[in-house]
Amino acid sequence: MQRIIPIIVCFIFGAFMLVQFFVPHRVSVSAYQTVLDWMQIIFVFTLLVGVISYVKLSSKKITRTQSGWGYNLIGLAGLVVMVIFGFWKGTGERTPFLWMFNTIQAPMQSTMFSLLAFFVASAAYRGFRARSWEAGLLLLVAVIVMLGRVPLGSFISHWIPDSANWILNTPSMAAKRGLYIGIGLGTISTSLRIILGIERTYLGKK
Amino acid sequence: MLSRQLIFVLIALSVAIPLVIKIGLPNQVTTEVRNVYESIEQLDSGSVMMISFDHEASSLPEVKPMAQAILRHCFQKKLKVITLALMAEGTAIGEQLLRETANEYQANYGEDYVFLGYRPQAQSAILGMGEEIKRVFPQDYNNTSLDRIPMMKDIKNYNEVKLIISVADGDLPVTWVDYAVSRYHPKFACATTAVMATSFYPFLSSGQMVGLLGGLKGAAEYEILLEKPGMGQKGMDAQSVSHLVIVLIIVWGNVVYFLRRKTSTVDSPRSTAKPL
Repeated sequence: MQRIIPIIVCFIFGAFMLVQFFVPHRVSVSAYQTVLDWMQIIFVFTLLVGVISYVKLSSKKITRTQSGWGYNLIGLAGLVVMVIFGFWKGTGERTPFLWMFNTIQAPMQSTMFSLLAFFVASAAYRGFRARSWEAGLLLLVAVIVMLGRVPLGSFISHWIPDSANWILNTPSMAAKRGLYIGIGLGTISTSLRIILGIERTYLGKK
Repeated sequence: MLSRQLIFVLIALSVAIPLVIKIGLPNQVTTEVRNVYESIEQLDSGSVMMISFDHEASSLPEVKPMAQAILRHCFQKKLKVITLALMAEGTAIGEQLLRETANEYQANYGEDYVFLGYRPQAQSAILGMGEEIKRVFPQDYNNTSLDRIPMMKDIKNYNEVKLIISVADGDLPVTWVDYAVSRYHPKFACATTAVMATSFYPFLSSGQMVGLLGGLKGAAEYEILLEKPGMGQKGMDAQSVSHLVIVLIIVWGNVVYFLRRKTSTVDSPRSTAKPL
């Protein structure tokens, strides 16, 4: 029963969402809106599951003083402090929550993202070698696109941004389209397999 | 060989120096950015636009200039702007930016713009708004019922919205295309980080997106069209020089590689490796 009931629920709702797309009757629309409301409600509970899981995992590492437990302590403290101030003083203008967000969280996250530039440059220096014709071609394309996407490219020659645009709009887009079509077909076939109960891996192990 | 530390110093200098000493390289406006600008420019005063802050704090330096330029254009044109967030961190960022930009143009909350706040589960929120916005957001970010907000009185769903723009750092614009554009057919554009921009070119070509702003360059181009310099144009010199430095570093890496390969070929004449 533990496996049969979820498969039946999945089939009913999957088939309903499929059929209602073509049925604009008010009963169908109303039921559709109710399903959408429930999707959001269920998702909020999954967030809660995530928070509980994070607290449990962090608490375990802290109490056992496992390697890197200090980071877990800081993470957990951050979570608790933000939640307390969020509920206590609100999240609007001139609140401690927003102050912490603007002065701690946002700069830290931006810094992490910015570090990518340094690592990309270092990795490009070490890894971007014209070891073969294919690698040489990739290198040439990368250089054209890198220069063509900044004003310096057009400053050197209009040929660079024009070529960069051609690369993005023709070969790159052709590859992307192929990928998207493949993803779309894969999504349809996997969805049908799930709705019909053929694909059951989402239920976990027996 | 260049050491890792030297590469880091070169990159840091290539970003920092142009931010202090202005070079002023000319920037060309691309078609995809011009299309976004024209789509807003063609709207009549009082038309409704929707802007969704679908990004995290990590990409703030890149997405904020784009969002600011678009918001400035909207308020300059006296459009009615509905804003929301489909990623939690976009809520605080979007609300602050909206407030700052609205103050620049003396726009009034509830009459000229509204901030609906955050909703999780983007797919159901996007689909739900296609049926009825009030059902997904019964209240705005300040817990005011949408029924009490004058601007929202005649707005039911995407039918009343002339253009939707997703300011994103991930693939949420694809979700907008999949669930809003495919089903309800609103006009849609996105402002996204440069690294994600290429992913959306197929949607531009198919007409599912009317235009696209890609990273700081997109912001700089929009600022040129708007004739209002901002953070985008300021950052373009830094981006130009840092790109050039990375290209030079790659070229130097290859020069060293080929010199070493040549030396090793001379040392072992039986090698049959063919250099590029």
